[in-house]
Amino acid sequence: MEGHQRNLYLYERFNARVLGVSVDDVIILKYWAKSLDLTFPLLSNVTGFLGASFGVEPSLEIKGYPVFSRRTVIIDRRGVIRYVQDGSPRYKEILLLLKKLNEEGQ
Amino acid sequence: MILISRRETMRKQSFTLFLLSFCLLLLMGCATLETKKKPYEVTPKGTVVYRGEFEFILPPLGWNIFWPEGEDEGEFAFGFMRRDPGPFPSQSIFAYDEEPFGCSTTFEGREKEFFKRFLWNAILKFEVLERKKVQVLGQEGLSVTVEGKDPVRKEKAKAKVIFTKRGERIVAFYITQWRPIDGVYDPSAFEVFDKFVQSFKYLKKSFYETL
Repeated sequence: MEGHQRNLYLYERFNARVLGVSVDDVIILKYWAKSLDLTFPLLSNVTGFLGASFGVEPSLEIKGYPVFSRRTVIIDRRGVIRYVQDGSPRYKEILLLLKKLNEEGQ
Repeated sequence: MILISRRETMRKQSFTLFLLSFCLLLLMGCATLETKKKPYEVTPKGTVVYRGEFEFILPPLGWNIFWPEGEDEGEFAFGFMRRDPGPFPSQSIFAYDEEPFGCSTTFEGREKEFFKRFLWNAILKFEVLERKKVQVLGQEGLSVTVEGKDPVRKEKAKAKVIFTKRGERIVAFYITQWRPIDGVYDPSAFEVFDKFVQSFKYLKKSFYETL
């Protein structure tokens, strides 16, 4: 998330917006955002339906707790999913795609 | 007669064993040739060029280089460390960090964010000894020297962090020297660090500058 915050000026340059989604509740996210100085929106999705709708699998490591694995999804202006990647975000890959989409007017 | 033939047999066996070992060594040599190429080279003028991107002078003998392992994108750092004389935790470490803790694009903002997490697992309470604007890499930077003490573990650390910019992004050089709480700091390590920073050059634009 800190990497996204560092790249925020570039996302803005490429007309992109970033949203974080987590199953943590609002209070936890508020403190987390404060501790990392995050300024972009974080969505609290306690039931996890947003993750599920993007095909994110619940983690098998912690049983009995709704933890979802990490997934980065890029959606273009028309609402088409252009990129899906699991695990830690690949910031350079993301920036190159956003630059390309911006140049294409997407 | 029997003794002689036994000796000959033993000689033959030894020779076969020697040949086998030699072949194995050759094969091991071949395997070594296949290992990953080192990401740095030493120039004739004695500097090091890392990934064709950074150039700097090497610190004197006794400093060991460490490279990032399992380096994640956007979290790039490398540096040197030295075991100092004296009891644990006497050591000095300095590094170049492309993505120092924090996100702010101003030096003052980044300093605040950085020290919230710098050496966070050591639970040190930092006191600023010196804060000043400096010229680094041909541009303005901010140098902050701090000291942190841990009265429970009876350890202390003195650190100097230099924030500067590469393109629009803040990067940092930092040195940390650890000592027992009653130990004496060695200023020579800080001099080596300063020389490293002064010698540091970018040989090409960063990924972010090319966007």
